[in-house]
Parts: sequence; C-alpha cells; structure tokens
Amino acid sequence: MDRRRPHKRGHWPVHLALALISALMLVPFYWVLKTSLTGENIFAYPPSLLPHDPNPFYFVDVWYAIPFLRYLINSVIVSIMVVVANVFLNAMAGYALTRDFPGKGATIMLFLSCMMIPFQVTIIPAYLITAKLHLLNSYFGMALPLMSTIICIFIFKAAFEAIPHSLVEAARIDGVPDWQIMFRLIMPLTKPAIATNVILSFIWSWNSFLWPLVVVRDVNMQTLPLGLSRFLSVVEDTTGALYAFCVMVLVPGLLIFLLAQKEFIKGLTSGATKG
Amino acid sequence: MAERAVDMAAAPLGAAAARPTFWARRRSRELGLIWLFLLPSLVIFLLYRIIPLVWNVVLSLEFWSPYRPARFAGLYQYQNMLFYDDAFWKVVGNTLIFMASAPIGIVLALGVALLVNQQIKGRGVYRTIVFMSYPVMTVAVGIIWQWLYNEKVGLINYVLISLGITNRGIPFLESFQWALPAVILASLWQVIGFYMIILLTGLQSIPPNLYEAASIDGASAGQSFWRITVPLLKPSLFLCFVVGIINSFNAFDLIFVMTGGGPGHATDLLVTYIYSTAFKLGHFDYAAAMTVANFVLFVGLAFVANRLAGGEAGAVKRRA
Repeated sequence: MDRRRPHKRGHWPVHLALALISALMLVPFYWVLKTSLTGENIFAYPPSLLPHDPNPFYFVDVWYAIPFLRYLINSVIVSIMVVVANVFLNAMAGYALTRDFPGKGATIMLFLSCMMIPFQVTIIPAYLITAKLHLLNSYFGMALPLMSTIICIFIFKAAFEAIPHSLVEAARIDGVPDWQIMFRLIMPLTKPAIATNVILSFIWSWNSFLWPLVVVRDVNMQTLPLGLSRFLSVVEDTTGALYAFCVMVLVPGLLIFLLAQKEFIKGLTSGATKG
Repeated sequence: MAERAVDMAAAPLGAAAARPTFWARRRSRELGLIWLFLLPSLVIFLLYRIIPLVWNVVLSLEFWSPYRPARFAGLYQYQNMLFYDDAFWKVVGNTLIFMASAPIGIVLALGVALLVNQQIKGRGVYRTIVFMSYPVMTVAVGIIWQWLYNEKVGLINYVLISLGITNRGIPFLESFQWALPAVILASLWQVIGFYMIILLTGLQSIPPNLYEAASIDGASAGQSFWRITVPLLKPSLFLCFVVGIINSFNAFDLIFVMTGGGPGHATDLLVTYIYSTAFKLGHFDYAAAMTVANFVLFVGLAFVANRLAGGEAGAVKRRA
C-alpha cells in the first residue's frame, strides 16, 4: 500500500510543508518592511504584528539624514567597474583557455588552486599591496580584487567550447583578426554566459563589505553596506529609519535577482559543480 | 597597429618562398595574443591570491608593523598563538562550532530540496522564496536579525513569550550562552537556499529509472533513499559542506554587524578576530600567523570532506 500512494494522492501535505517553510523564510523580510513603515515604540508591548498606521516618513528621513545618494553613487560606480571588468577579462581569459598553448595545463591548475584560496584569508597582504599601489580610498582599489572571477572564466570557457568550431574557422580563413572574431562573432553567441557573469559579479560587488571596510577610511568614498553598518552604530536600533535604509539597500539586489534568477542560479550551480 | 601593417606587408612576400616562417610567425602572434588575454586575470589573481598567501607566511615569521622595519621572529608568533593566547583557542572553537552547524543546515536543505523536487504546482515559487535570502546583502541580514532578536520588542522574544516558553525577553545577542547560536541561526537562514539549490541540481541528475527499478524490486521509499539518493548525492553533499566551511569566512559581515564578536569573544570567529587584531590593534604579524592557521584549517577540512565523499567531488572539479 505504501507503493500505491505516491501516484494518486493529493499533494496538500507537501504544499502545507512548503508553505510553512516559505512563511518562515519570509518572516524576516516582512518584519523589516513592517518596521520601516511604522517604526517601533519600545514602550508599546506587545509589538503589533500588522503594520499600524504605515507611512513613508522614515524613507524620507533616511534620504535627508544620511548621505544616501553619496553611498548609492559610490556603490554604483564600484559595481559598474567590477561588472564591466569581469565581462571583458573573464571572456578574454575564458577564450584563451579554449586554445592550445604551452602552459595551458599549468594555467588551469593555477586558476583552480586560486579558487581554493578564500579572499578573506588574503586580506592583510591584500591591504598592504593595495597601500603600496596607492589605491587605498579609491574606487579602483575597491573594485580591483573583484575584477576577475575564476568561476566565470570557466563559465565562459564552457560557453566558447559550445560554439561550432567551423564557424570560427570560416571567419579566420576570411582573414578576420582574432580580436574581431572575439567581439563580433563569439561575444554575441555567448549571451547567456555574459548575463550570468553580469549578475553574479554585480551581486558580489554590491554586497561586498569586508574589503571596502579595510581599504576605505574616507567617509565620502563609503559604499552602501559601509554606510548601513555606520548608520547602525550611530542610531538607536529602534528607529524606523534604520530599517527603511535596509529596505532601500535590499531592493536593487532583490529586484535583479528576481528578474534574472535563472541565470543567477545556473551560474552558481555550474560554478559550484564544475570548479 | 603599425606593427600589424608591417606584418601584413611582409606576409605575402614571405608566403611564397618560406611558408613555415609565415605559419610560425602567425603562431607566435597567436600565442602572444593568448597570453595577452590571460594577463589581466593572471595579474589580479597573482596580486590578490598567490602573493598574499606567500606574504602571509613570510609576515607570520616576522616582527612587523607599519611603523617598524621587519625583524625575523622565527616561530614566535605561532608560539604566542598556540600557547599564550586563550582567545585564539576560544575563537578556533567558535569557528569549528560554526562550521559544524553546516551539516544541520544541509540536512534541512535536503528536506526542502526533496519536497521541491516533487511534481507539484508552484514549486518554482517555493524554490525562489527559499533561495531569496541568499543574494541579499549580508550586512542588511545582520541588521534584520539583530532586530528580530531584540530583547524588548523583537519578534522572536514576542513569539517565545506568547508560547509560554519564557516569561521575559532573552537578550540573545548579549548573552554568552545564546549569542553564537543566534548568529548561526541567522547565517543558516541566509545560506540554506544555496544548499537547497546545489542539492536540487544533484537530485535532478539522478536517473529516474533507478527508482523505478528499485520499486519493481520491492524496495521501500526509505531503502531507495538511503541506497540510491544518498550515495549519488555524495558529490553535492560534499560541495554543500565546502560552501558551509567557506560560509564561516563570509560570516564576517554578519558578526561585525550583529555582535562585533562579543560578548567577550563569544561570537568571535577566526575571520573577525584576525580583522580586529590586524586592523584595530595593528598587530599585522600576529594576525598573519592566525591567517595561516585559518587557511590550514580550511584546506584540511576540505580535504577530509573530499575523502569522506569518496574523492568523486575532486574528480568532478578536476574535469573542468
């Protein structure tokens, strides 16, 4: 009888379990959104579960109380630098790895072993190197370590290898130079890989906290995560403004993820399983 | 550009007389281009992965600070770390506890993955919701959770009091007993979706006819889970575990925001302790020694996990 059940049985227990899990996963999002709209009064126990008298006051407050625009611009500049560099550098490296050349095996080994070095473990010398390059407190200094990603190099390599060889050969016989083959022929054919790379590198640089924390001291150069953690240290954690700030920071990342989750997940899993 | 013009002019001349030279030159130009394409990435990884790794080791064998010239220290820093710094052992213990929480998350995620893997309506929506916390900014996650844990008006304390589990709010993040589990829970909330996605990919790569064959042979659901699903999921489980270990590095953001490592060193992990030793106290040399220890710990655990997974995961990795 155990065997007969799976086929015709209704799926409601599965739905029930999944709905419960989803609710648990969503509660923190709901709670921060609620607080950002209503604030919280520590003397009013119990906390109301539903937003009571919601208003956008705290969002306006954030806009004027802190240099939100400054943080946003800094974050956007660093993210753009990282994303653009990632697409070009990873595509170039990935393309090079599809060709045969002496030292190819060693290069691949080098990349794979670099992947086993978590960035956090390099933080002290990385800071000293950046200082030596006179890049502390600069956009470029914040962006540089993130500008190429090994996972994405291999995603590009796989995408290039999927392109029919005859197409490239034909172009080459016609005397098209290599760099034009790259940008006119191959890049358009690897749109999915590019999309994956854009999304992954954007999310990584957008959320990056430890590295900017180390290399940036100048308040005018701080990115959103730094601004957020600074704001936390100067305000009471009961003010709605803190959570309004949170919401404003979360929205862009979440939006991009929801719009492009397929590419995002594909990139993460292919990176995770293929090395 | 000029060089290319010369090449173009020279090529037709040489082509008739000496074909090999033409091809050789073309080949060497191609090689140059290949290395040119690889160069920027190689420079970045050299600057920010390889050199730092070596420099860490060098730094850990010195007395050094930004204001003093380096002096050779031998194993002084390591001696200090292993025998005279109680905080170091506390922090290593915390890091291990943090890593040990990964299997809990992986088991939970496996449950969710099995549910989502069923042929039901709306499973894409469930999957998105469970995964949604992963790409979120960790600093914001920290702020959200420290708010949920708030002693007076936090949602978690409210629920606990309403259920009658406790009669007054627990100051989770200020308590020596609860701070670390509290941070771990927040971290699990964020990473569980990623585990789920990895396991789901693994589940979907198991050929369904294996289950059909097993059920024809009269295997129960439990038997086919333990005999088919689990063994074939080993590489995915290994990957999850490595992600879990790496997650203890990424927990920096969370801990920095939620507790700052406190109370005492109750929530300090190696990453946060290294950060404060180097960038708050200025003891770069000592922090470098701890970084080396951290890296050894990471590689050792990854190696053991790979062995337990039967080495298959390594094979998958190398193939790429």
